[in-house]
Amino acid sequence: MKVLGSRELLADVLSKELCIGCGACVSLCPYFKSYNGRTAMLFPCTQERGRCFAYCPKVEVDLDEVSQKIFGAPYSMEPLGRSLSAMMSRAGKKAAGNNYQSGGTVTALMTWALLEKLCDAAILTGREGLNAVPAIVTNPDDVQNYASSKYTSAPTLEAFNRAADLGYSRIGVVATPCQVLALAQMRSNPMAKKDFSDPTSLVVGLFCTWSLDYRAFSRLVEGRVDIKDIKKFDIPPPPAEVMEIHTARGVIEIPLAEVRATVPNSCDYCFDMTSEFSDISVGVVEGRSAMNTLIIRTERGRAAVDAAVKAGYLEIEDMPSDNLARLRTAAGNKKKRALKKAAGEGIINTNGDSRSLIRMEPKNLAGI
Amino acid sequence: MSYLFDTNEGARYLMMGNDAIVRGALEANVNVASAYPGTPSSEIIENLSKASQKRNIYVEWSVNEKVALEVSFAASIAGLRSICAMKQNGVNVASDFLLHVALSGTRGGAVLLHCDDPGALSSINEGESRHFARMIELPLLEPGDFQEAKEMTKWAFELSEELRSIVIMRSVTRLSHASGNVILGKLGAPEGKAQFKYEAVPGDADSGPVITMPVPPHHALLQEKLKKAVAIFEKSPFNTYTGPAKPELLIITCSACNLYSREAVHLLNAQDRVGILKIGTTWPLPPKLIARHLAMTEKVLFVEEVLPFLEENVKVIAAETAAEVGIKQFYGKNDGAMPTINEMNPDIVVDVIKKILGIEYIAMDEGYANRAKGHLIARAPVRDLTFCPGCPHRASFWNLHNALAMDNRRGFVCGDIGCYTLGFLPCGFSTMKTSHSMGSGIGIASGFGKLTQFGMDQPILAVCGDSTFFHAAIPALVNAIHNKSDVIFVLLDNSGTAMTGFQPHPGTPLDARGGALPTIDPAEVCRSLGATVEYADPFDTEETQKKLLALMREKGARVLIMKQMCALSPEKKGKKRFEVKVDQQICRGDTCGCSRLCTRIFRCPGLVWDNKRQAAVIDEVICAGCGVCAEICPSGAIKKTEAGR
Repeated sequence: MKVLGSRELLADVLSKELCIGCGACVSLCPYFKSYNGRTAMLFPCTQERGRCFAYCPKVEVDLDEVSQKIFGAPYSMEPLGRSLSAMMSRAGKKAAGNNYQSGGTVTALMTWALLEKLCDAAILTGREGLNAVPAIVTNPDDVQNYASSKYTSAPTLEAFNRAADLGYSRIGVVATPCQVLALAQMRSNPMAKKDFSDPTSLVVGLFCTWSLDYRAFSRLVEGRVDIKDIKKFDIPPPPAEVMEIHTARGVIEIPLAEVRATVPNSCDYCFDMTSEFSDISVGVVEGRSAMNTLIIRTERGRAAVDAAVKAGYLEIEDMPSDNLARLRTAAGNKKKRALKKAAGEGIINTNGDSRSLIRMEPKNLAGI
Repeated sequence: MSYLFDTNEGARYLMMGNDAIVRGALEANVNVASAYPGTPSSEIIENLSKASQKRNIYVEWSVNEKVALEVSFAASIAGLRSICAMKQNGVNVASDFLLHVALSGTRGGAVLLHCDDPGALSSINEGESRHFARMIELPLLEPGDFQEAKEMTKWAFELSEELRSIVIMRSVTRLSHASGNVILGKLGAPEGKAQFKYEAVPGDADSGPVITMPVPPHHALLQEKLKKAVAIFEKSPFNTYTGPAKPELLIITCSACNLYSREAVHLLNAQDRVGILKIGTTWPLPPKLIARHLAMTEKVLFVEEVLPFLEENVKVIAAETAAEVGIKQFYGKNDGAMPTINEMNPDIVVDVIKKILGIEYIAMDEGYANRAKGHLIARAPVRDLTFCPGCPHRASFWNLHNALAMDNRRGFVCGDIGCYTLGFLPCGFSTMKTSHSMGSGIGIASGFGKLTQFGMDQPILAVCGDSTFFHAAIPALVNAIHNKSDVIFVLLDNSGTAMTGFQPHPGTPLDARGGALPTIDPAEVCRSLGATVEYADPFDTEETQKKLLALMREKGARVLIMKQMCALSPEKKGKKRFEVKVDQQICRGDTCGCSRLCTRIFRCPGLVWDNKRQAAVIDEVICAGCGVCAEICPSGAIKKTEAGR
């Protein structure tokens, strides 16, 4: 990928409303700040090449290049991305906590990773009202405070950047697909630093179909729910077509169509449902609300899962092939939909010099 | 001995025009002086307040120009002599009262002195206040040099008493702030007893109630006064002619342009060909005097600043007397010979006379001019218009800019009048997007804040200084609060009228002479109007930005007082709060992660880019020790330590 500067980032991403607010450009310098779900550029910067551009998942990411760095192989059009295995999992008996979204796999795994010093810090995302707020967590007991899905897009990588700056060198990150893509770029040493070493030790990707714009979602929810009472959000499987907001005083349902209207434009171009560049990806299992789907993609991901199972923090079982097939279909549909939209708008670059949203091989688009 | 108290008649002083005006007022035994500060008029009251320590004069920095004029008018109808000073746009503020004063008339000598600012050297307008004289039907005087500034001021009081009318006198920046020789006159002992007599019938000029009704008879009386003024002006020694009996070209000029015209004629060595008619009584013009001089020549050039006031008024007389004086060739603003904007100078006058009379004259050899220009470009340091080192406004705008940017809804700041007007420039991070008359920031914001029903969703902020707050912002703030306008009113409280030289205002505890006065707390005023009031220290950038962001989430009229004393305030006595140093080893300089934030964006003059070491460095000579740069440095390279006492 050709690394450019903040001027190009402003032109290619922020001014086109493609920014998802992942925080990859924040806390690297004084110029980018994250506030209420949005990333703002405070002043123009004159650097011709900057980390902000190099890390951004919404600039022209060269998927083959990133894939080569992470997996040693070009980008795969396989709907679930490159993987070693897929299974079902849930928190083991050793794991504490109860506010899980489903199986508690992520909470259990990160608790174990901090306990066993696989990670010296975990980058997790908590919630203040409706706002998703990232944190650097070092105490294993604190991990459970960050359990359950947030839905609003989060500047999680802002905390990652701070942690790296503080000198943490074995960072565990729980991230959405866009954030995992940004991390993959960071881990590829795009600025070609001489003394570079990958500061992550475990990247746990989450399944994601879309996120919500904090500000738009707030406007939708305000007046219907007392925000400080919210315990958890959930979207039950079809045909429900609602978002459930669990509060101390019961469950409030909001029609999914209204919720979807608060999805940022940027998500429409996202081709990744399962965090394809992670070590491990975790999501729900259709019809099994107390279990997670677990996709292992890298050797270090496999080692972590094996050790966590052995230590009693995770329990795993085989994934029914029907479930896996449905997951592949859903992920494949998201990929096709996004790439078709991007291709239709001419923002996929297959060979030219101009800057676009995605760079990929023309053959990958053949089936779209 | 100061010219203020020197009783040696005939003593010669090099004096600023404003000092000459002060001496003139003292020689006229002025009793009361009031003003609102505004460059180039501010020294008048400052020096009269010094004089008031030895003479019985009441001197007041009033809350605004209208009230200042009301205060001095009260002295007049109590039988005292009073002067009221202001800058050009101050007359606009006072004009409503002035309109009524013209009708009601005066008793003790009353002079309204306004200092115009052609070229807007220290203004954000190029207003011409002379037109008020014609519009409101009041006599107008314009001194043509420094001696005249003194003599005319003294005479203005006498004229006012003779006409029973307020007299307007106009100075300009280059007269008020330039200096020339002035010979002193007699300084008498102040006298005058104040009593307002109202027992007689309305309309009795000496002892009736002072009201403008019934209007038509009062208006007729005002016009009688102007006719009387014309008769006086026909013989006035302030209208002078210098030149041959039959000049090829007659210059008609006034004010500082008198000096430019004399210099131009001298440079061209054209004293035998060009005559200069300098008018000191510019409204109403004395028609016989004008006609007499028009008759001397065929060609007439008007030399005056900005708008063609003298030119158009003379042309009326020329038309009316054409049968006796003949048809003239006029050169001035209406034919494009003279500019209608900016300051006049001798070069412009030289150029025009050269063209009219076909004189060959080279002011400066072209080669020399080019070399001089080259040196100027190469050697003169580039100096932006910027805030002083350690100015709280830089920190305030830093906070406003960053909070608005983070909020990310295209919010903006409506500005007002003070040093902080520079907030529209890079030194204020271009945060301010409107700036007009005093108090207009919150007034405009009040309007913006009611546009939500048309889809306006940008956060709206107004900034205002503490002196401007009292001057004209309060009614607009009342309007915003009463009408439930969605605005944040940010009071940039630097504890004084900083831009014009720390004159006191109702929020400060001193009068014009340094005596104690009760203060009025802007926060209490805002609270009593029903606004929630928060405080922030702009030097605490993180806290201030947090407060701004929180306020932007709310609705209705909100007030935030950003309080921090002006870096130049006499109260600070140049003391530094912090010693500030840059650790050049840590400074990231021009690399990713900093990109010279402090010297490229923040740009306090106390921070300098050390090109050799590629790092920032503190200019210890001018650093005011505010410590804000230590807060904004992304790498912690700028260290501050509490300075010892």
